[in-house]
Amino acid sequence: MSEPLSKAATATEIAGAVMSGKVKASAVIDATLKRIGALEPAVNAFTDVVTERAKKRAAEIDAGLHRGPLLGVPFAVKNLFDIEGLPTRAGSKINVDGPKAVRDGALVRMLEAAGAILVGGLNMGEYAYDFTGENAHYGPSRNPRDLTRMTGGSSGGSGAAVAAGEVPLSLGSDTNGSIRVPSSLCGLFGLKPTYGRLSRAGSFPFVDAFDHLGPIARSARDLALSFDAMQGWDSDDPVCTDRPVDPTLPRLVEGVNGLRIAIAGDYFARGGEPEAFEAVATVAKALGATKTVVLPQAAAARSAAYIITAIEGAQLHLPRLRTRPQDFDPDTRERFMAGALLPGAWYVKAQRFRHQYRANVLKLFDEVDVILAPATPCTAPRLGQTMMKLSGVELPVRANLGLFTQPISFIGLPVAVAPLQKPGSLPIGVQLIAKPYNEQAALRVAAHLEKQGIAAAPPA
Amino acid sequence: MAEEKPDIVRLVEEGAKAIGLAIAPEYRANVILNVERSLIIARPLLEVELEDELVSAPVFRP
Repeated sequence: MSEPLSKAATATEIAGAVMSGKVKASAVIDATLKRIGALEPAVNAFTDVVTERAKKRAAEIDAGLHRGPLLGVPFAVKNLFDIEGLPTRAGSKINVDGPKAVRDGALVRMLEAAGAILVGGLNMGEYAYDFTGENAHYGPSRNPRDLTRMTGGSSGGSGAAVAAGEVPLSLGSDTNGSIRVPSSLCGLFGLKPTYGRLSRAGSFPFVDAFDHLGPIARSARDLALSFDAMQGWDSDDPVCTDRPVDPTLPRLVEGVNGLRIAIAGDYFARGGEPEAFEAVATVAKALGATKTVVLPQAAAARSAAYIITAIEGAQLHLPRLRTRPQDFDPDTRERFMAGALLPGAWYVKAQRFRHQYRANVLKLFDEVDVILAPATPCTAPRLGQTMMKLSGVELPVRANLGLFTQPISFIGLPVAVAPLQKPGSLPIGVQLIAKPYNEQAALRVAAHLEKQGIAAAPPA
Repeated sequence: MAEEKPDIVRLVEEGAKAIGLAIAPEYRANVILNVERSLIIARPLLEVELEDELVSAPVFRP
């Protein structure tokens, strides 16, 4: 149990303390803003801090004007979420010249309706086309576990802010792995919900076919608490599901009872460094999971996700690539330009293959509830590193940090990341993959691993 | 018969012209490199054979 004003406090602990009157929301926000001021020069997680807004909201809570399960919990969002009165940067310089948001994004509104307090916008890779957390305009977000290392991206600031203890909860987006990669490299719990489960309204898009939003936190319980507060149909996002809200928090007490858990083999058991597979083995052993399943054609799925991303992303940004190429981050510009030149036939084939792959993978869930796979093929690379060796093969960092996440988000499966800490080593995460809309199963496994001391957030 | 190597340089130059995208000389080498990388990454997908009846999933419902 952490002291509610400390940087190790979880959202659950803070909300409990504020609800019981043990601490004032204003005291929580003052401590949070002070920590952000002290840590930012090193961590560089924030691009915007909404000091006055946060203090005003905290005062309203202390006056009894707001209630909810996240009462007084400070949170921050990747800067592709709309924040009223600010331009939605999406990691870019170009968007700063655009209009300011007239309304908060849907999930920001939902978390605040549950009592949470927004404290700012977070650094990210430009236009989310990134796995590193680096950004030429705003500088890289730095991994609090080792400031010379990458946070992972593109939700780099979302990982850095929580790992540094600046806030207990952040929101990120995940198109190909952008919540799961920073969760793994920063050693945090992360949730990429089912595609369409949470509204994306009021966020800057990247690849409509794969864009998901979700939380990063210091505990599995906080993932469930925030996820439950953000569920619900939203007419402003055409992809958002109209399924009824399915609360996950009450089910965490069930642990892993009745869950069938298997290990992803083949593609997910090669092409990474030993620490990635050791983490999966550690989790499997703790869960008593011995069965292996093969996601058929996972390599082709990763290819197809890459092609759809390259072409959709390029199409979205083509007008800006024509008129303001010099204002792009050099690390995204030429990749977007390349994507604009790829054949349309590849895109259609990728979408048709997606249908087939989905059907084949869903069959696996007749026999299992949760599948374990590495979240990243390695621990955090050094900032500025462009190439890395995976299983002895020299590969570009940017294209390959998401090797194990891309085939999963490609078909919209929900995934929780459980972080493993090892003294003297950098953290690494394991994906807990469930069938569509079965977030509760993935979260139950994450909470069980946390309870057993196998998974944990880093010491703050 | 040996497989003919695709002319990526020409694809980039002519493709960019066709879509009205001016690629400055200082960006050109990296664009070519990224198209080449895309070709390598796309290979597993391109090798898959699909049934004619398989339809696309542009609006995807998991």
